[in-house]
Amino acid sequence: MTVPAGIIWLASFPKSGNTWFRIFLANLTAGESEPADINNLDERGGIASSRHEFEAATMLDSGLLSHDDIDCLRPRIYEAIATEAGKQRWIKVHDAYTATPGGEPLLGRKVARAAVYLVRDPRDVAVSLAYHNSTPIDQAIKHMNAADGAICRGSTGLAPQLRQKLMGWSGHVTSWLDQTDLPVHVIRYEDLVAAPASGFAGALKFAGRSAPQAEIERAIRHADFAELQRQESEKGFAERTSRNAPFFRSGRVGGWRNTLTAAQADAIEQCHAATMTRVGYVL
Amino acid sequence: MHSYLISGLHVWSELELPGAIPEAFQAAAADVSIRRSPVPMALEGATARGPTWEMAGEIFLLRVPRLARFRITAGRDIAVEIEPGVSDHDAAGFVLGSAFGILLHQRGALALHGAAVAKDGRAVAICGASGAGKSTLAAALCRGGCAFVTDDICVVDLDASGRPLVLPDGRQLKLWQESIDRLDLAQLRGEGVRESIQKYYIDPSGARAQPSPLSAIYVLREQRPPLKSGIESLALPDAIRTLDYEAYRPVLRAKIGRKREMLTHAAMVLSHAKMFLLVRPRGFEHLQETVATVQVHWDALDR
Repeated sequence: MTVPAGIIWLASFPKSGNTWFRIFLANLTAGESEPADINNLDERGGIASSRHEFEAATMLDSGLLSHDDIDCLRPRIYEAIATEAGKQRWIKVHDAYTATPGGEPLLGRKVARAAVYLVRDPRDVAVSLAYHNSTPIDQAIKHMNAADGAICRGSTGLAPQLRQKLMGWSGHVTSWLDQTDLPVHVIRYEDLVAAPASGFAGALKFAGRSAPQAEIERAIRHADFAELQRQESEKGFAERTSRNAPFFRSGRVGGWRNTLTAAQADAIEQCHAATMTRVGYVL
Repeated sequence: MHSYLISGLHVWSELELPGAIPEAFQAAAADVSIRRSPVPMALEGATARGPTWEMAGEIFLLRVPRLARFRITAGRDIAVEIEPGVSDHDAAGFVLGSAFGILLHQRGALALHGAAVAKDGRAVAICGASGAGKSTLAAALCRGGCAFVTDDICVVDLDASGRPLVLPDGRQLKLWQESIDRLDLAQLRGEGVRESIQKYYIDPSGARAQPSPLSAIYVLREQRPPLKSGIESLALPDAIRTLDYEAYRPVLRAKIGRKREMLTHAAMVLSHAKMFLLVRPRGFEHLQETVATVQVHWDALDR
């Protein structure tokens, strides 16, 4: 079976299982008997907001461009990547589904084939995000509740990546689910944890890619949370930003129940009730 | 007309170039001219193209949407067409950066994406990706007594006996407001690189007028696993590969077809200047530590 070429976005709000999914893919592609090195993954599709890729493709100094000017150019970068790759390429993306200031979809059908969208209970996301950013949980919640939220948006220094509009947790989820330009396959993090084999196989099938059941199961074992924790504790992980917690910290479903105060859980539920209900999270 | 010395080249320009250091010379001595002229949206017979650029033989077209277009020809001319409503100042940053970088490639120069500073007449280059902290480290080294040589684009030339020299840049150091605040350099802050962006030219006190022999090239990386903080020497094959990668817009070099010539040039540079991987701990609070590490390493190198 020929795998259809083009970009597949691996899209999610931060801390929703995106890295786990990428490590699974890397292990599947590597086809080795030992787990892939988390700091040297073969299938390194990169992130859509990579400053380095932007500069290499445009020949421009991204630090001299406004965030909006950069957004106007981003679809052109993805066209170039898709053409050059000539095969299927999965690329991580944390941007909400938005239009550029020129009115063009930033991540639309013109540049990509489809998207796999990972969604996770926002109460667990809040705890994970607070550890990841080394901030109090209340600040993480504020970030998730801000409809105009974005990351790497600073104007007094050069952020490590290009600006990404998140639009708050609900804004993010609905932007991807409501757009009609790209086919989207939605996976809940909780379902993937409960039944990884069928979850990953479903996503691969959606992308027109298949793999033997045994290979999928091997890649799942090699990307198992305990394995990722083992590697991180031994060698560290390049994508860790937290000052006080590992990247692969807990990964648990429902861990928020022991961490969030009632007021904190309430603040999330109040803000995101409609979207939480829509994707099946019990209030 | 304005005249400047940029990367060792005499430049005549119809556009004022803030951040470039003026230098008087006879018009006939100009190596490069920069003028206003209509620039097409596309090139006829383009043999290579990217999202914002096209190349046809010795002509390179660069488009910055909603800002300006640049046509760079044969390493000698830069034609600039600025979009209505855009100031010369906003376009000038792209002339000094991308357009000049492309022109240097057309001339076959070895242009690294990096800064350089000098001490006792010897220079070191600091290469790395955007955001690696090159300019901030260069500024901190200058505050510690080094002379500023170049920022962003570092041209390495060879003297008559084949030894590498860093050419005096003629451009000022560019720093984000965040770095200016942390380094306490507000009193040296000059004009903004662009009206809407909080990145500024810093007056490079003690800028060198003469080419300086190059002692070492440090490739700067932020510490992330599996890298460990510190300085590590690169073996020659790795050094050549890294030097190629650290060129200013390395994709260009292959497109311009000078890759082979560049590798020969790089090998000659590396027979005199050593190359090191410099991994710095993350966070501004460790900057002085990195400065001290480089100073100690550099002193040992020159002994």
